[in-house]
Order: sequence, then structure tokens, then C-alpha cells
Amino acid sequence: MTDTPALERAYRRILSCYPRSFRADSEDEILAVLLATAAEGQTRVRCAEAWDLIHGALRMRLWPAAPRPRTVRAAVTLMLAGAAAELAAMITIAVTAGAVRAAVAARYPAAMPAATVHEVLVLASAPVAIGLWLWLAWANGRGQDWARMISAACFGLLSLVMVGNLSQHAATYAPANMIAAAIVWAIGLVSVVLIFTPAAWRYYRPQPVQH
Amino acid sequence: MQEATFLILTALADGAQHGYGIIMDVQQISGGRVTLRAGTLYTALDRLRADRLITVDREEIVEGRLRRYYRLTPEGTEVLVAEAARLQANATVALTRLRPGLAGGLA
Repeated sequence: MTDTPALERAYRRILSCYPRSFRADSEDEILAVLLATAAEGQTRVRCAEAWDLIHGALRMRLWPAAPRPRTVRAAVTLMLAGAAAELAAMITIAVTAGAVRAAVAARYPAAMPAATVHEVLVLASAPVAIGLWLWLAWANGRGQDWARMISAACFGLLSLVMVGNLSQHAATYAPANMIAAAIVWAIGLVSVVLIFTPAAWRYYRPQPVQH
Repeated sequence: MQEATFLILTALADGAQHGYGIIMDVQQISGGRVTLRAGTLYTALDRLRADRLITVDREEIVEGRLRRYYRLTPEGTEVLVAEAARLQANATVALTRLRPGLAGGLA
């Protein structure tokens, strides 16, 4: 057992990566264990120890331990799937852009500027949409009530866009786009339903529990 | 269930222990194969506490440092029993199939 102030300071520096609630509850305790398991005369944090601590901190921050109901876990997974679907759509559009442009230029040369604008808009908005899915997945997983509200609002907006596209007969001239959009919309629908189930309500708005 | 989690629950199966005690005990249970590091241990303990499989038994101050003892909850015992039975059933099947001439496993 070693107890040098330098080593303790070094451990505390790494422990500062942990969530505040965990540090308030367990920092002194984990520090005692670290010092107890340190080698005789050790003055610096070893690589393997540092990695283990940082890995633990990341896990706690990314997947907090609050008991997450199955519905919320499923919703988070679906939101990650939503991000993946957007990414797949973006890649498809980027890869086929050349062919689409050639086809438009050959058949509807007058529509070229509009098609280019549309393509740029879609490709520019896709990273935003992917980021939004990931951010909402993360925040919903942590039980943030505002994230649930933003998710519902985003889904509402997405539905309006869908209705708008349908009313412009998008289904007839771009069936593949509409199918992709419908998949994304369905993912949104199911995840929003899941985060408003009774079990999810208890998770997002917990009642104080007696210990 | 991850092996570390299983070993931590097993370490608490016959009474409350503190963090350092769990590390030592897990090392012994696993025949020296598994040495838990503090980060792994406390990430697991945090999760097990949130899932209400373990709870804080008592706290002591030893040499000016906090020492917290953990114990299994009834749910924790139940989960450990189920997991141990599952592992045992798998091991039994494996051993039975490996034994020649038994249950017609090997021609």
C-alpha cells in the first residue's frame, strides 16, 4: 500500500472525468481502492489503470446506470437506426448524383438548376438530420424530458414534410425517395410512441423514491 | 451477464464486502485469472446499484478513508441464482457431450 499525495492527485485528475453525481457519491471510495491496489512506491498512474478509469467514465457518461425501461431502450436503438438510415440515404444520393444529373440534363434540361439546388439542399441537410437523431438518442437515453418533447416536435415536422411531398405527387416521380422517407418516418413514429408509454413517463418524470 | 458482473455478485453471495475486498475475492474465485480494476469495478457497482441488484450495507471510515460495504438484494440473489443455473446447465451439456459413449454423443 502506498499513499503518496502525488499519486492521489494524479488519480483525482483522472476521476474528474467521471459524472459529478458519481464523484460526489463514490470518489473517495474509489480513490481508496486505487491507492490500496497501487504498487509499493508507485507515484504515477499506469497506462492500463488510466485507460480503465477513462473507459469507466465514458461508459457512465454514455450509458448512465439509471434503470432504463425497455421501451426507452428500444426507442434509443431506433433513433440510432434513424441516424443510420439517414446516413445510408445520404450516401446513396451522393453516389447516384452523377447519374441523376445526367438523366435530368438529357430529358429535362430546363430542370437542371432546380435539380442541383435540391441535391445540394438534401446533401447539406443530411448531416444535420443525422446529428439530430444521434443527439436525441443520447438525450432520451439519459431521460431528459425536453429531449422527449423535441423528439415529438421533430416527428411532427417530419410528418408535415411527408404530407407536403405526398401532395406534390412525389410518390409518382421519386418512388425510391418516398420509400426511404417512409422508413425514416416509421422509425420516428415508433420511437415517439415508445417514449410516451406509461413506463417511459415514469422514467422521464420520476417520483422521488424512498430508500 | 458479463463475467465480471457474475463474479462480483458471486463475491457478495455469502456476505457484505467493500470494494477492495471484492477485488481480492474475485481474484480468488477466478483462480487468479480475473483481476478487476477499480474503474471496471465501480462502473459495475454503479450499474448493479441502479438495477437494485446490490445495495449499500454499511459505511465505515478506516484510516480516514471511506469504506462502503455492499450486499446482494433479494432481486440480486434471484438474478445470480438464475445465471448460475444457466451456466451450470450449459456446462453439464458440454461435459456430457465430451464424454465418449454417453448419450450417444460420439459415434
